[in-house]
Amino acid sequence: MSTLTGVCTFCGTGCGHLLNVEDGAVRGVFASPGHPVSRGRLCVRGWHIHELLATEERIAAPAIRRNGRLERVSFDEAVAFAAERLGRFSGDEIAFLASPRASNEDNYLLAKLARTVFRSPHIGLASDQGHGDAAEVLLEGAGMPAMLGALTEIRRAKLILVVGADIAKLNPIIGSELHRAARGGADLITLSSRRTQIAKLSGAHLWLKPGGLRHALAAAAKILVERGWRNEAFVRDRTEGLEDFARCLSGLDLEALAAAAGLTMVEIEDLARRLSRAPSAMAFFSSGISGLDRASVALLYDLFLAAGQVGREGCGVNPVPGICNIVGSYDVGASPRFLAGHRRAEGSEAGRTPRELLAAEPTTLKALVVADRDEEIVRHAARIKGLEFVLYIGAYDNPFTDFAHVVLPAATPAEADGTYTNAERRIQLNRKRVEPPAGVLPAWRACAAIAAKRGVSWDYSSAEDVMAEIAGAVPAYAAVTYPKLEKSFGLQWPCDARHESGTVRLPLEDPGRRLKFAAARADFAAPSPSEAFPLLLMAGKATYFWHRNNIMKKTHIPKREYNALLLLYPRGFVEVNPADAKTLGVRDRASVNVVAAGGSMRVSVRLSGDVKPGTVYVPYFIEDMVPGFLNAAGAAIDEDQDSVIPVRIEKV
Amino acid sequence: MIVYILPKNQARALAAALAEGYELYGPVLHGISGEPLFDRIGDPDAIRLDAAIPYNPPKTVVFPQAERILSYRYDRETRQAEIVRDDLVRPKALVGLRACDLAGLLCLDRFYLGQEYVDEVYRDHRKKMFIVANTCVRPFPQCFCVCTDSGPAAREGYDVALTAVGDHYLFETGSEKGEALARRLGLKEAGPDADAVKKKTVDASIASFDAAATENKAWISRVMNRITTGFIGNDVWEYIGDQCFECGACSFVCPTCSCFNIEDLAARDGRTGRTRSWDSCSYEGYTRMAGEHNPRRPVEDRRNKRFFCKLSYSQSKKYLRPGCVGCGRCVRVCPGDIGMSNVVTYIRREITKAGAK
Repeated sequence: MSTLTGVCTFCGTGCGHLLNVEDGAVRGVFASPGHPVSRGRLCVRGWHIHELLATEERIAAPAIRRNGRLERVSFDEAVAFAAERLGRFSGDEIAFLASPRASNEDNYLLAKLARTVFRSPHIGLASDQGHGDAAEVLLEGAGMPAMLGALTEIRRAKLILVVGADIAKLNPIIGSELHRAARGGADLITLSSRRTQIAKLSGAHLWLKPGGLRHALAAAAKILVERGWRNEAFVRDRTEGLEDFARCLSGLDLEALAAAAGLTMVEIEDLARRLSRAPSAMAFFSSGISGLDRASVALLYDLFLAAGQVGREGCGVNPVPGICNIVGSYDVGASPRFLAGHRRAEGSEAGRTPRELLAAEPTTLKALVVADRDEEIVRHAARIKGLEFVLYIGAYDNPFTDFAHVVLPAATPAEADGTYTNAERRIQLNRKRVEPPAGVLPAWRACAAIAAKRGVSWDYSSAEDVMAEIAGAVPAYAAVTYPKLEKSFGLQWPCDARHESGTVRLPLEDPGRRLKFAAARADFAAPSPSEAFPLLLMAGKATYFWHRNNIMKKTHIPKREYNALLLLYPRGFVEVNPADAKTLGVRDRASVNVVAAGGSMRVSVRLSGDVKPGTVYVPYFIEDMVPGFLNAAGAAIDEDQDSVIPVRIEKV
Repeated sequence: MIVYILPKNQARALAAALAEGYELYGPVLHGISGEPLFDRIGDPDAIRLDAAIPYNPPKTVVFPQAERILSYRYDRETRQAEIVRDDLVRPKALVGLRACDLAGLLCLDRFYLGQEYVDEVYRDHRKKMFIVANTCVRPFPQCFCVCTDSGPAAREGYDVALTAVGDHYLFETGSEKGEALARRLGLKEAGPDADAVKKKTVDASIASFDAAATENKAWISRVMNRITTGFIGNDVWEYIGDQCFECGACSFVCPTCSCFNIEDLAARDGRTGRTRSWDSCSYEGYTRMAGEHNPRRPVEDRRNKRFFCKLSYSQSKKYLRPGCVGCGRCVRVCPGDIGMSNVVTYIRREITKAGAK
């Protein structure tokens, strides 16, 4: 056993860990005491990352598909073949599906390969709609396209508003910090349409009607702005555009908003009052799974701006992504919306997401380069199968490899140097801690090798060289260096000449910074129950189902937990309030059909007091549920946003 | 048992002598955070006997997080399986083990080397092990070994026990191996007052414990009584269960937690390795039985199981001591607020409330 410092690469929290390495192999993992974010804690996923990092169930060698079968070839042959095939297409015919799990260095060079070598602007992640929307709102409003506050300041917040998804399950260590803050006297308030674990740990749970979040936020903002509870000095000195926002709010009817939110006026007034009086306040929401739509983020941001709860210690509007390096992937330009450094992609530089291109009918798409990704496959399997060329670069095989014409193995985060940027903009370095299997290279080296075969020579001898170039291309990373990262637990961007050792929270004092209200023009239409479909169904993801679950299935304990859930509910379950179950005449574990306007599915009933009468909840952890029901019912689940579907439940 | 004197500047010599025959493990400080960790030691100078209790439990050395215990290869043609007990256990010296961690090791011994069943891999680890205990001369903030009868000085199970006194350590031997080391280092025997000096040091250490720890002493036995008799309201368990993030950390850091999972993993070379890895009663799949039965599905039932295991009388009979050794690690790693001392406080609160009625 020898403990080597690093960072967990599951969710966006970015917890510190210590890998146990013995005889050159990963043998275990331990929480890292003294890490500023995780402070010596890990969640169930983090405690088992060694099982993933040590698995032999992975792509071990380069391969080319011949006569329908993947055949092992040399790295050079695979790269030459892929480069030649990709060279046959125009930039508009190739899309690059980047990975929010990959390092900044990997993503930066994949984006560079796409944009400069193959002249394709079509590079993007999947499952980043929520983060992209949040980043845009915060960039336009505050000039900072990520968390405005800091995870390390949670214990300094006097009021914390958790909006939507169960942060205790999605980002457990952030949930833990919120719980600690509440135990220390902070006012923890959850705004959600289901009684989640974080709701149970909150001092107040404002139990929304499904689809009523925008209404609740708008109502609170209206009260705050119109009753003179806003922070006048802050709004005057620091912001612009309140008039527009106030005008949007003035046309709204408070009673109607409260009714649509499913809250009483007293509850909403109390929220507005507490927010305006709190010495400091933070908002947290998931920008990944079950994230907020753009209008909700804008309303939340405007509400906090009006209350003056931004830019001070313990304050901020804080999106939390579900995957470790979504923030960094955006920073280095793995997005069709932004080039490196969040420069907006315009004209010929503006591309479309791989998702859009896969869904387009007809499509110009002929080839796809996929880096360590397992999303998209369910929805677009037929389209992907029909592509002329698919290159897969990654450490673990998944359904993409079944369709790939060339497969290139990649090193795991334990086998290569690389940086990862967490939710609070903390850039952290993972050093190579074990040797990769013979012939396996970091993904960025595969990109460089492909570029070389296309006649473009990149001169990087190490990941550190790539970071040096990133520091030049991304202004917020200007002062980031490997030696600085290595001596610390990471640096929070902006890290530049003005902020040499990083920036904890939105720097209000930077010259020219003026905060703009997002002037949210929300659509307040909400799905409502009808006689035919009297129940409102909420969809989310189950604990042990993390993205396509391809990764979790390579572990032992989390896999066992997932299997235990599957054994209990082989076709999934729907949470039903006992009162509704009585009316329907169904018992716990009874088989029922959940019927929506567009489709139906058969699942088991799970009785639960965590859903209100008139609402039901389906955590999805079975792939069939996506094409079979959620897609058919038009759910935004694939957009990773909260979706509400009117349904009825039929006994079978 | 003989008591010798080890000058503090000879601590390195002790570590270096052990490093010749053993892989050396002991407390070191983390390079960035400066936090103490129990780790493999390459350079005997890195060892920090004065560091606070290490964040990770030394049980990792004898009961690793994941360990291959055997491997097999099945030949489809001949229908023969070749099973190999891989001899992967190497001799290890644990230097600077705290009394609580040593008490934990003895609990593991009773589980793995009990009379009904002896675990051969574990036995191998233990047989090839050299233990240098280290008396806690000052308690650390989360410690409460005085409440669980497991410190601050070790009473048994060591080859050598050190107690820091001024510019030297009292070097007590507890085995023939320990005696041999004393001779090898050429140590002088301590004077006749050694026992009195040690007692004074230990008493001073006990006196410097936090009031919360000493005050809890009586409460832990009352809570044991409550847990054994089952007189704890469901609302208390629910209060605890709501705070459980189901991460498993309390089991992983616990010096006495012995539960494991078995997984057979096919390697690329065609062999299948049987791996034993840490498991935790906080996971739903842990208690799931064939036929879909799960006696402890709700999270509060699972938490309740943990504290029953640590503090009930029937479990203590197996360990010949409480299942908690008072190291306080579960308090530090818990994402909720349900480390052992907090749970005792919650139950104490209930007892007090009930008494007031």
